[in-house]
This record gives sequence, structure tokens and C-alpha cells, in this order.
Amino acid sequence: MRRKNLFFVLMIIFTLVLSACSGNKASNEAGNENDKPKEEKGDEQVTLRMSWWGSQSRHDQTQAIIDLYEQENPNVKIEPEFTGFDGYFEKMAAQAAGNNLPDIMQQNFGEYLNQYADKELLTDLTEFVEKGTIDVEGVSDTIMESGTKDGKLLGIPTGTNALAAIYDKEMLEKAGVPLPNENWTWEDYEAAANKVHKELGTYGTRLLEPKNIFEYYLREQGFKMFSKDGKDLGYKDDKLLEDYYAMNKEMVDSGTAPGYDVIQQIKGVEDELIVHGKSPFDFRWSNQVGALSSAAGKQLELTMLPGENNDKGMFLKPAMLWSIPKSSKHKEEAAKFINFFLNNIKVYEIGGSDRGVPLKQEIREAMAPNLSETDKKVFDYISLVTENSSPIDSNFPASSAEVLQALADIDELVMYGEMTPEEGAKEFRKKTTEILSR
Amino acid sequence: MIPKKSEQSESVMDFPKTKMTEKPVKRFKSRKKKSGYENATGYLFISPFLIGLFCLTLYPIVYSFYLSFTQYDLLGSPTWIGLDNYTRMFTNDDMFWTSMKTTFFYAGVAVPFRLIFALLVALALNKITEMVGLYRTMLYLPSVVGGSIAISIMWRQLFGNDGAFNSFLALLGLPTHSWLGDPDTAIWTLIVLYGWQFGSSMLIFLAGLRNIPKTYYEASAVDGARPIQQFFKITLPLLTPVILFNMVMQVINGFMAFTPSFIVTNGGPMNSTVLFVLYMYRRAFEFFEMGYGSAMAWVMLVIIAALTALIFKSSGKWVHYEGEQK
Repeated sequence: MRRKNLFFVLMIIFTLVLSACSGNKASNEAGNENDKPKEEKGDEQVTLRMSWWGSQSRHDQTQAIIDLYEQENPNVKIEPEFTGFDGYFEKMAAQAAGNNLPDIMQQNFGEYLNQYADKELLTDLTEFVEKGTIDVEGVSDTIMESGTKDGKLLGIPTGTNALAAIYDKEMLEKAGVPLPNENWTWEDYEAAANKVHKELGTYGTRLLEPKNIFEYYLREQGFKMFSKDGKDLGYKDDKLLEDYYAMNKEMVDSGTAPGYDVIQQIKGVEDELIVHGKSPFDFRWSNQVGALSSAAGKQLELTMLPGENNDKGMFLKPAMLWSIPKSSKHKEEAAKFINFFLNNIKVYEIGGSDRGVPLKQEIREAMAPNLSETDKKVFDYISLVTENSSPIDSNFPASSAEVLQALADIDELVMYGEMTPEEGAKEFRKKTTEILSR
Repeated sequence: MIPKKSEQSESVMDFPKTKMTEKPVKRFKSRKKKSGYENATGYLFISPFLIGLFCLTLYPIVYSFYLSFTQYDLLGSPTWIGLDNYTRMFTNDDMFWTSMKTTFFYAGVAVPFRLIFALLVALALNKITEMVGLYRTMLYLPSVVGGSIAISIMWRQLFGNDGAFNSFLALLGLPTHSWLGDPDTAIWTLIVLYGWQFGSSMLIFLAGLRNIPKTYYEASAVDGARPIQQFFKITLPLLTPVILFNMVMQVINGFMAFTPSFIVTNGGPMNSTVLFVLYMYRRAFEFFEMGYGSAMAWVMLVIIAALTALIFKSSGKWVHYEGEQK
């Protein structure tokens, strides 16, 4: 009797330990097969998991969009999982390792999409587009291409985005500086910033964020960040980066631009200098104009980044993409939701330009009469950039995050005066070669 | 209650006696069986802990050791690369050495700082006779909340350019400074934060002080010892076992510090506050090099183990245990 009990107890412990330790990989895959027939029926109760990153306003808007979808499709329930951008891809990577990615995943263009593509974690959506489940009629090819990798459509853009020079009209007028337009040059930018600093005693600009702006700076002069195969930098002459560093360093030294001791204190849109009237300029993505304007409590304007060839430098970027991971058991339903997001005007009425400007002309037109002032400016800006831009570069290598971090780290060293711009430019090439050759 | 207890103990006492007279060998066997059964029941009762230990501690430890020899980005599966992670770390990674130096500096200054501070406060508290509970609670409070994100965020605000500390300096007419923005001072704000959370060490010191018999002080006072002499000849030697314990705990703690450098400065300015664990986190979770991160974790383990061993080894020279014969 006792022996039996002992055996029993040990068995229980053993199974408990085993079941707790074993990964869910096998069971998930088995489930995958079993669930396939269900997918076809459509009326079956389906629960989709959906994840995104963003700010609180995006969380609220997306929840409202989900509620709307659930109302229209009572058989679908969507479980949201959201965080800020920090930590989002860490979380996704952990879920990928557990074969537990959500059904609908907000994906980022560039190295992230490339990484997920390389690992074949995402579903090719071509099938759903051909079937008509996802209607992309009228979306320009260049935009669709940004979600394509190696001939597979891995993400549907949520909307378009572009870098923008955001400026505070009042401040510039008060300092007697002519307002910038799409034809302004880097010299105009420097002159304007210096004059504002001199006249108003505030900063003349925000220190430029190197990760995005230097790429633009290169493109504007006819170069690329990375070579075609992604194994080297896309420019040969270190003078380019040296000039970029030198331009910023000069402004930091003269007090026109703040140094990193100030930049470091900015922890969110609410802390930005332009929000507090401490700087008239801020160069960043166009979908953030809304957030900046509402934090500032005044209407901010936007125009193209400076440079004579800014049509070469400017590009349209998918603000983010919707992807369906391969592990999803309800791909069809997930595709339907993406279609809803893309084609339902109410989605954009709720969300505004927060996930970029709507891809479809007819939605943009239908929305035009009721747009908020900010959204109207952003929509106009995107059409301006559409006319004056060249295609986005998608050949970012998987380790480009580290390369761009090195660029930012060296930017910091140069601005603190620990390195000259010339040394910085050389150091960046050295670091990049090291990272890319790994 | 009482009769029951005696009954129980009697039966336990009786059981082996009767068996012993009959067949000694069998008795031995059955007892073994019984203890095996009791052990199993015991294991079942602690199985929540065991499952935690095996699945959440031992398995990850072993797995991370395996990962340290691989290249693994979480998305794919790990590829074996032998010692490459370790060689790269020691031969081709400046940031590894920078973060190591920063961590040694941080721990080297912050740990003694916290210990001395804790000891001084404990000495002061030991003298206070009224409202000890209140003071103790107030002084311990920072440690309760200290490791939290909230405190780190508060610290960031406090030492920010427009923070309370600068406002205070300005009020006194002293020059303000960008404490977190200056690479020379940023690390010091983290060290002060570490020192401020002295509570748990202080409590242990306090308990140690209370354990020193008053008679020693009285006897020495009769012999004409001054307070300073009493401190160095009586208090400190008798406190050395407690100091040893606190030191080991704090060294481990100090080398594993992560939250302050992640939240207060995020490694900046110019990577001057990138502690080892923060760099490990960046490698593992920002650049998705789990293999490299695991290798770094193992290097850290070896360093902490070596330091702890060193402290224990040296302890024979300076730690005095009561009743020890020399």
C-alpha cells in the first residue's frame, strides 16, 4: 500500500515537473493542424490576439477601432496586447521563441521586418490579396513594395509617413526669420537657427537626431546609408559624416543647439523643446506632429527637410505594417481585420494620422472635409512628399540597429568634445566594419 | 493537548523497540521504507518550490550556459559557435571593458560608502532610546522602495537640470550643474543613490550592535577607555562577523546593479554609466544577441564568485568570532 503511494506521489511530481518544464512548441504545432478546418467555417467563435506599440492615445484609439470591429463581427473577439516602443520587440522576440506570436502583429519597416523575414516567421499575404480578402486596389506600388521582401508580401502598411521639418511659426516670426519652405537649404536652416538664438535667447533648433537625419543627409547628397548587399556603408568619403558632425557641433558650441546634457532629459513628446517654446525647429516623423501640437497647445507647421536636392533625400515610409505571423491559427480572420483597418473610413476617423496617412486616395478624399487642422497639414505634406521623393532604401542589414546606435554614441562623443568630427567619422566607419563583419 | 502529545511520542518510541527484539534486519529495512515514504510526502509538499527551482532556476542556468556557446537571436534557433562569444568579449569589444571598469568603480566606491553610512546610522540609532521604532522605520523606508523604478525616476527628476537639487543650490546662491548630463558627475548620482538605500545593512548592523554585551563597555570604562577606543577595541572587532556578512551581500548586490543605470541615466552621457548588467541587457535584448548576453552573464558570475571567495579567504585575518581561541 505504502509502496504504491510512494510510486503515485513520485509520478505526480514527475509529471508536474515535466509538464511545467516542457515548451509549448509541440502542442502548438499539433493544435495548428487540428484547427485548420475551423478556419474555413467563418461563423465559429474566434479569438484573435493583436499587438502593437505606441502612446496612450494610440492605445485608446486602437481599442475603439477594435470595439467597432467586434460590433460588426460578433463572432470575432480581439485580445489587445500593447506596450510602448521600448520593450515591444523584446516582447515579440520572446513570444517568437515560444512560438507564441500574436495573430495580428504591428511590424516595423527596416531591420525588424528584414529580421522576421529572414527567419520566415511571417505569412506571405499575397494569397489573401489575390483572393480579395485584403483589398489593396489603388495603393501605389512603391508603398506596397515596402512591405515586400524577397517577393513575399509580409506586411500591409498602416499608412504613410515621411520625415518632416516641424517648426513653430510664431517663434520664427517673432525673431524676424523668413518661414522655411520646401526649397530651403542647409545654410538657410543654420542661418534661421542662429538668428532665433540671437534674437530670442532661446535655442535656435533642437539637436538633430542622427539615426534618421544622417540617413536623409546622405541620400540628399546622392549616397546611401548601406551598400546594396548591406555588408558595408553606402558611402566612401568620411568627409560626409565629418561635415554633418561639424555642422551640429558648431551649433552646440555657439549655444544655438542644446548639447546632450539637455537632450538626455527629454523623456517623451511632452518634454520636447519645441513644445515648451525653447526651440523653433524639430526634425522628425510626420505622424508625430499631432502629438507634438497637442502637447504644445498650438498649431505647429511642417515642411520638407532642407537641402537643394531634398527630393532625392526625402522618401515615404510605411509608418508601420500589419503582419500575420506564421504561427497564427486564424490567418483568414486576421487578414479580414487588416482589410477592415485598411479600407474602413471609420478607422481613420478614430485614429487620424497617428499610424500614418491613409494609403487609399478615396479614403483621403472622403476624410478631407472633416479633418482636423493638424491632420490636414499632414495629409497635404504627404502629398507634397509623394511628388518630391525617391523610393525608400530597404537594404538595412539585421545588425543595423547596432550600427545606428554606434552613430548616435559617436554623435554624443563629438558633441561633448571628446572627439573631433573628423575622428568621429573615422571611428564610425571602423565600428561599422567591425559590426557588419561579425 | 498535552495527553495527546505524550501518546504520540510513546507510540513512536514503542515502534522500533518491539521490532528490534524480533528481527533486527527487517526493522532496518521497513524503517528505510517508511522514511522513503515520508520523504516522498515531504517532496510533494514542497513540490511548488521544487518545480520553481527546476523550471525557473536550474533549467535556465544550464540553458544559459549552453547558450553562451551559441549565436541566438530568439527568432531562429541557436547555432553552436564554440568559444567565439568569449574570445570576442575579451579581444574585440571595447564596450565590454568600459562597462567592466565602470562597474568596478561603481561597486568599489558605492559598497564601502553604503556600509560605512549604514554603520554610522546604526551607531547613532543604538544610542537613541526614545522613538527608536519611528526612526528605524523612517531610515529603513528608502531600502523598501529603493530598488523600484519609481525611486529611480524620482532620482532622475531630483538631479535633472531643472530638478530640486539644482533649485536648492540656486536658492543658496551656489552654482548649478548638469549632474546627469556631465560624464564626470553622472556616475556619482548613481553612487549616492546606492548609498542612500542603506536600510537593510543598517538593520543588520543594529542587531549586531545590540548583541554586544554592555558589560564590556562598563568594564572598559572602569579601566579608563575613551569612547573612541571602545569603538575600535570593542565594537568593531565584535562586529566583524556582521561586517563580513553585509560586505558579501553588498558586493554581490553592487555588481548586479541594473535599475539605476537603466532608468536614471540609461547609460549616458557618453556611455559613462553603462554598468555591466546594463550592457548585458543591451546585447541580449536590444541587439538580440542572447548567446553573447549569456556569455557575459557567466563572466559576471565568475567575477562575483571570485570576489566572494577572496573576501571569505581574507576573513580569517580580520573577522573575530566570539569564543574563538587563538
